[in-house]
Amino acid sequence: MTDPRWVGRSYETKPFLVTEQSIRDYMGAVGDLSEDGELLAPPTYAMVYGFDAYWQLWTDQEVALDVAHLVHGEQRFSFQRPVRPGDRLQTTGRLTAINTRGDMELVTFELSARDEKDRPVSDATALFIIRRA
Amino acid sequence: MKATTAQDFERINSGQELPALTKHVTVEQIRQYAEASGDRNPIHLDEAFARSAGLPGVIAHGMLTMAFANQMVTDWLGDRSRLKRLQGRFAGMVLPGDDVTCSGSVASKDEQTRRVVINLVVTNQRGEKVLNKGVAEAEFSTQRSDIHAA
Repeated sequence: MTDPRWVGRSYETKPFLVTEQSIRDYMGAVGDLSEDGELLAPPTYAMVYGFDAYWQLWTDQEVALDVAHLVHGEQRFSFQRPVRPGDRLQTTGRLTAINTRGDMELVTFELSARDEKDRPVSDATALFIIRRA
Repeated sequence: MKATTAQDFERINSGQELPALTKHVTVEQIRQYAEASGDRNPIHLDEAFARSAGLPGVIAHGMLTMAFANQMVTDWLGDRSRLKRLQGRFAGMVLPGDDVTCSGSVASKDEQTRRVVINLVVTNQRGEKVLNKGVAEAEFSTQRSDIHAA
């Protein structure tokens, strides 16, 4: 059981420089190859530029989530603007809730990404489910 | 690269179905997604580890399934910048070898805000839902609002 006192802890990524290669690698991996002139990242590319925030949460030795039994339960995104090569994006993730439901633990992580001019780019809420061993 | 045709807001009707999108998921694609996303959790890559965690074997990232749903919507929209919201619940595991099909329909259309809400679901080859409670929202602004401020 994760200690609920960690609710409120936040994590910030380093500025993530979006490259054409990184967008194309993502497009190739998911098989979403459409282009309509200008190269725009698929919106779910938010998982790439925000990934380090998730990683910091999963590997936080103090919070010590049982990641071997963690699965992704739900995901919500809102997109304020599309992402393109040259963007430098920084994502902040905050652990906002730890709840139990039966023999499962539900962990809510809320993220917000901003560009180099501090303008909003995207928000996300992830719900992780940890099945108790 | 596939060219796309932008969807015309005026011609969208509530209840209208989006063209379905089917993807065959492979171990190779899961590996490729792990590399591209950075998410190298061994439940997606290491068969023995996945089994020790109580899974039937390696499973696809939930976000790979959501990326398919994203593609179904943006292929239909014809413009990635129109997608404003996307959400879903990962209702079932996706394993290598599965064929998953994304489908969706227009739930509502608002003439004032020029926004369209789409309900989505992703099912596997047995008809089991692997993503449910899916919702996407798109905005058809009269001009692209995303151009970088100079």
